[in-house]
Amino acid sequence: MPANAVGATGGTILELRDITVEFSGFVAIAGLTLDVHEGELRCLIGPNGAGKTTALDVICGKVKPASGKVVLGGREITRLEEHQIARHGVGRKFQVPSVFRDLTVRQNMEVALCRAPGVLGNLFRFGNSGASEQLEKLAELVGLEEAMDVAAGALSHGQTQWLEIALLLAQDARLILMDEPTAGMTAHETAKTAELFNRLKGRHTLIVVEHDMGFIKEISDIISVMHQGRLLAEGTVREIETNAEVRAAYLGSGGISGA
Amino acid sequence: MDGQRKHPIWAKLVGYAAFCLVILILPLFITDDYLLNKFARYLVFGLVAMALSISWGYAGILNLGQAVSFGLGSYCMAMALKLRTIPIQTGAEGLPDFMVWNNVKSLPWFWEPFHSYGFAIAAGVLVPTILALLIGTFVFRARVTGVYVSIITLALLVVINLVVIDRQRLTGGFNGLTDLAPLELFGLTFDPYAHATYYLIAVSLGAALFLGLAVVHSKTGLIMQAIRDDENRVRYFGYDVAAYQTFALCLSAAVAGFAGMLYTLVMAFASPTFLAVPVSLSIVIWSAVGGRASLLGSAMGAIIVTGVQGSLSDTPAFLETWTLIMGALFIVVVLFLPRGLISLVDRIPLGGSARRRAAAATVAASRSGINAG
Ligand SMILES: Nc1ncnc2c1ncn2[C@@H]1O[C@H](COP(=O)(O)OP(=O)(O)OP(=O)(O)O)[C@@H](O)[C@H]1O
Ligand SMILES: [Mg+2]
Repeated sequence: MPANAVGATGGTILELRDITVEFSGFVAIAGLTLDVHEGELRCLIGPNGAGKTTALDVICGKVKPASGKVVLGGREITRLEEHQIARHGVGRKFQVPSVFRDLTVRQNMEVALCRAPGVLGNLFRFGNSGASEQLEKLAELVGLEEAMDVAAGALSHGQTQWLEIALLLAQDARLILMDEPTAGMTAHETAKTAELFNRLKGRHTLIVVEHDMGFIKEISDIISVMHQGRLLAEGTVREIETNAEVRAAYLGSGGISGA
Repeated sequence: MDGQRKHPIWAKLVGYAAFCLVILILPLFITDDYLLNKFARYLVFGLVAMALSISWGYAGILNLGQAVSFGLGSYCMAMALKLRTIPIQTGAEGLPDFMVWNNVKSLPWFWEPFHSYGFAIAAGVLVPTILALLIGTFVFRARVTGVYVSIITLALLVVINLVVIDRQRLTGGFNGLTDLAPLELFGLTFDPYAHATYYLIAVSLGAALFLGLAVVHSKTGLIMQAIRDDENRVRYFGYDVAAYQTFALCLSAAVAGFAGMLYTLVMAFASPTFLAVPVSLSIVIWSAVGGRASLLGSAMGAIIVTGVQGSLSDTPAFLETWTLIMGALFIVVVLFLPRGLISLVDRIPLGGSARRRAAAATVAASRSGINAG
């Protein structure tokens, strides 16, 4: 695999230890333990309802676990608020693309570019404080350079996905959590996304939740498989595809490739 | 496609400057002091509607308690002026008349500092601001959103209104604070019919509009708009959403408090009716009619609506149907002009918008796919 696994040998950036999440009695995650290395691109897969989105929610602070802890770069972040976790370098892309629909593409990026988060300090910051070139470049990277002054609400579904990815790049998070980034994209768009993600490896650490096995093969170093709130298996694409337990878990959902 | 109609900042600045010019030269054309006083009142309403636009239009916080800030500001000014009135019964050092009637023997402690104009003016801004800080911290830290915020602020308004009416010995109760001395400051006398009062109000509104414009065009203003769109998304970029929401509420309260002080000057009294639900609802309607996401739009909405109301008020038959007209106007605007009257101005084509339309066309063309580049 992976000539492109540059930097995947760095130290551990993220540790999930024995995470349990309950939603009014229903156990969505049951003792999940997961390590991710600096600069790695980790794919997180599993059948519907396996708890993948919830796992990302725990990392970025949206959901607080009933027990267990989350450690980012050696610091425990389990109980921090969402914005504090974000300031520690965690970025999140949501399953339902979420951007600021009333703001223009450029304004969206300016929001994401969070140099200083304070209310009073930001009162004296106007325009994009000299980052205009950086934003143009990002827009170009995701093919939105013509649409900088268009309201995000006017973009197509695929473009909205791209915009949210560009926002995460503007945010420049150390650890980027992507929930189904290629959902609703055409084959061509998906290929472009794979190319982009491969370029991000090494500079950023990514955790990507995906169903599209073709896409996963393009980008992944190591795959973690979740099932019923637990880590079921971990390994390369080949190892996962031939793993009997994984096959069993996917039974009834049309097999791993069809998931 | 909405976002594309917005004019560049220079066009906005020209519009704001033109508005300020008009309100500043207006007295040259009005010889009737009574009429000028009326216009001054409309401008005060413009100021308080513009204040609501900051929290509602920009940060998405529909504060139905805006009249709390307005009323508190008004009372702070009125208290200072009341203490300058020489009471008929008790002479120069005496208590305010309503306290004498209520058998109050000495001036209540919280009235004491209002002997100072400096304190009163600071209080007119700071009391509403601190109250907004408390409410905002409490409400937004608890992640209360949307209509629940409106309900809480409305409930607060009702409670404060009842307290002010109920504590007659301290507040003048239902009658409010009447028979006030005119404000005398910097050698000027700001009585309701003075040109000085009109200019004070016009300059205040102009300054507030430009300062407000600076705020909403700052990064803080941008984050406020992002919160209005999707407050959760903002959190995951590292911003403390509650702090921004509280700031918007406080700034709005400060401006509304200031407007309240000015209102006492034009009316020459303060009344619990300034601090009541109908005022709050009117402010919302003015802002919605003018355009809540525009400071100037909101201000002009207030001026137009109250101006029309004022010209009808000379004919009592029309006044009866006023509530109806206002309600109908509100519905029409909400249905057909959700961005308010100011959105008509946004449709005026300017040089720069041709490029934006071209960009829009490009986007439309590439809707189904991304440019390969
Ligand atoms: N807020 C919630 N309240 C109650 N149950 C929830 C909540 N969020 C998730 N769940 C449940 O927890 C389980 C795991 O959900 P999660 O969204 O993490 O799955 P997933 O692996 O992301 O699935 P998918 O592939 O469909 O996106 C599901 O059974 C889901 O119904
Ligand atoms: Mg999911």
